[in-house]
Amino acid sequence: MIDESLTREYKRREFLQLLHAGAAVSLALPLHGAQTPVRLLRSGDTYELRTGKIDMGQGARTLLAQAAAEELGVPVSAIQVIMADTALVPDDGGTWASLTTPQTVPAVRQEIARQQGSTPRQPPEWRVLGQSTPNVLGRAIVTGAQVYAGDLRHENTLAGIVLRPSSLNARLTSVDAAAARKLPGVTVVHDNDFLAVAAATPHEARRAARLIRAEWTPAPDPPISELAAEWRKTAVAPVENNQTRYPPLVRKGDAAAALAAGERLLKTEYWLPFIAHAPLETRAAIAEWNEDRLTVHSGKQAPFLVRAEIAKALGIAETQVHVLSSMPGGGFGGKQHADVEIEAARLARSAGRPVRVHWSREEEFRWSYVRPAGLMEIETAARADGRITAWRHRNYNAGSPGLPPPYDFPNQSSEFWRTPAPFRQGSYRALASTANNFARESHIDERAAGFHQDPLHYRLAHITDERLRAVLLRGAGLFRWPGPGKACGLACTIEKDGRLAIFAETAPAGKGFRVTRLLMVADFGAALNPTNLKNQMMGGMIQGLGGALFEEWTPATRSLRAYRLPRFSDVPPIELELIDRREIPAAGAGEAPIVLVAPAIANAFFALTGERGRSLPLNR
Amino acid sequence: MAVIELTVNGRKQRTDAPPGLMLLDLLRDSLGLTGAKPGCGEGACGACTVLLDGRPVKSCITPAASARGKTVVTIEGLAPEGGLHPVQQAFLETEAYQCGYCTPGMILAAAALLDRTPRPADAAIRQALEGHICRCGSYPRIVEAVRLAAREARRD
Repeated sequence: MIDESLTREYKRREFLQLLHAGAAVSLALPLHGAQTPVRLLRSGDTYELRTGKIDMGQGARTLLAQAAAEELGVPVSAIQVIMADTALVPDDGGTWASLTTPQTVPAVRQEIARQQGSTPRQPPEWRVLGQSTPNVLGRAIVTGAQVYAGDLRHENTLAGIVLRPSSLNARLTSVDAAAARKLPGVTVVHDNDFLAVAAATPHEARRAARLIRAEWTPAPDPPISELAAEWRKTAVAPVENNQTRYPPLVRKGDAAAALAAGERLLKTEYWLPFIAHAPLETRAAIAEWNEDRLTVHSGKQAPFLVRAEIAKALGIAETQVHVLSSMPGGGFGGKQHADVEIEAARLARSAGRPVRVHWSREEEFRWSYVRPAGLMEIETAARADGRITAWRHRNYNAGSPGLPPPYDFPNQSSEFWRTPAPFRQGSYRALASTANNFARESHIDERAAGFHQDPLHYRLAHITDERLRAVLLRGAGLFRWPGPGKACGLACTIEKDGRLAIFAETAPAGKGFRVTRLLMVADFGAALNPTNLKNQMMGGMIQGLGGALFEEWTPATRSLRAYRLPRFSDVPPIELELIDRREIPAAGAGEAPIVLVAPAIANAFFALTGERGRSLPLNR
Repeated sequence: MAVIELTVNGRKQRTDAPPGLMLLDLLRDSLGLTGAKPGCGEGACGACTVLLDGRPVKSCITPAASARGKTVVTIEGLAPEGGLHPVQQAFLETEAYQCGYCTPGMILAAAALLDRTPRPADAAIRQALEGHICRCGSYPRIVEAVRLAAREARRD
């Protein structure tokens, strides 16, 4: 299971670092995530930039090289970026929450400027930032030379296999491994609920595993259909806490009183299922002991958190563990924690040799963690002209990211209610922001329809943020809103300082419908690498399309055939428009583009059918 | 243990293969060619695609024994050492990847398509690649890359 207290502590320390980042005197706290986030070393004409961040396809390696090249006045090719090796790089937390652009890029620039006794170059002087520098990994990717954790082959390494029960919470009661242990070169490890084998090849390890007789106590997986009712009974109300990145309670005025006194009340609820990250690369690790020191190669987003979790699981000090992270073949928030690393390390300790464990697709679906499901309730009161006077938004289980509304409501309360987690759930690209935007942007659309007002103008009447108004208006012009004769919908938000609007068009198809056009306008402040930014926008939208239309994880999900991901034929024509504001510090954009796809499509679906899709996925 | 002889990227190879071994494992574990990727183990994602006698196959469900005496091309051998195949060049120019894990399989399938159909319509490109998953969602750029490769090949 994910050690939540460890994760929370880790992210709290990182947040403290965030608070101190602007201070004149940087504090040398011996804490995780509290170090100066970058180190720069010079060797002749080339520079080595060391960072704890990783590149998982979002372009971090290229972007950080651009930032350094800009300030040093050298070509991008003169910068070698060393990432995520705990022996070499500073611990600046993990690669999460879209922080590389707003935090690490400025840190690189300030550190170099400080060393040069200058200040970071101003946007009008930029030569490298703001340019679409080609991805520095491009050639390695197209030639197959790019190495992922599962590609590593070390000499003398055994293959490890973990034996799994048929239900997620089963406990191991008895083991007979005598026959497997008799095979030459086979190591069996049995420690509480952990049961695994290592052998010279995966083939031999599987053969040994088949000879082991294990009995587990039956522990049925909890039924998902009963969760909503359960959560309403057991959820814990949030308390105000602004010392956290995503406050669980965001209030203005008095929503309860305004709802009690308000008129034209509307209460709606929404459901967002559990979904899987399903990175194309399943997780893999090689663990090797040298006396009491452990080296682990894997492909994770947060090498120092992984190191802390390995050390805790094995009862050793973090200083005894060295973690090296290769580029993950897809992360999406799903590769933050130690799991396969701990399994490989336990096997390697018993076998006395390095052990490699590479999860199957079934293991990836069943034994990693999933994006939390969410139940959202929204209750509002409104004036006769449609203006919302009171807004209460409750999210059960999914989380607090994306709670603050981009709208100007005089009384509002947006709340994340904690619930006991029935499954191993954790981070995901934008996490609960997708749930919260789905609910909010659906409800506001229901309100517009109820007052017979155009959804675009109804939103604009509640928005004062000029940048958000600008993306909406630009999008409406490009899309030719309201798309005469077509079934169209839209959604907008402010996500991690970015402003976004999505417009969607749908058409009937067979017994259901299909999405026939998507358009996104986004303002992330300065566009530091427009081509890469558009790649992230496109990718986020297509991943969002999966969550909107098909994806739904259950404990029975075991294969890619049974878990519908977006394919070529699902992708409609997509138009992307960037509003590049050079003078505004760049916001991270790895997550934001995913959060509006579901509500924009659900709103278009309403225009098509007159029915509200309040439960995802829409094409269940 | 059976011995299998085959030609991989222009080189004759002779290697042991236990019964049931898949071509993907032979390439990765016996020959050290890790460009073909495991993704799903059931031929549902295309990451393991290689060319077998010029045709794209899902090597994770192709028994190694079925490649006996045949010719295999992996991403490492698509272009001569140090060079790029037009499809590789087009992927590079359009940045038709993010994490890159699906890219070798996509490129090999696209190269095979252009061998058979030098001027594919967009619908034919999508159809040829439909069995390939790009979880990062680079699909539109991949279609653009294949279109570009076809155009460049005609120009040459």
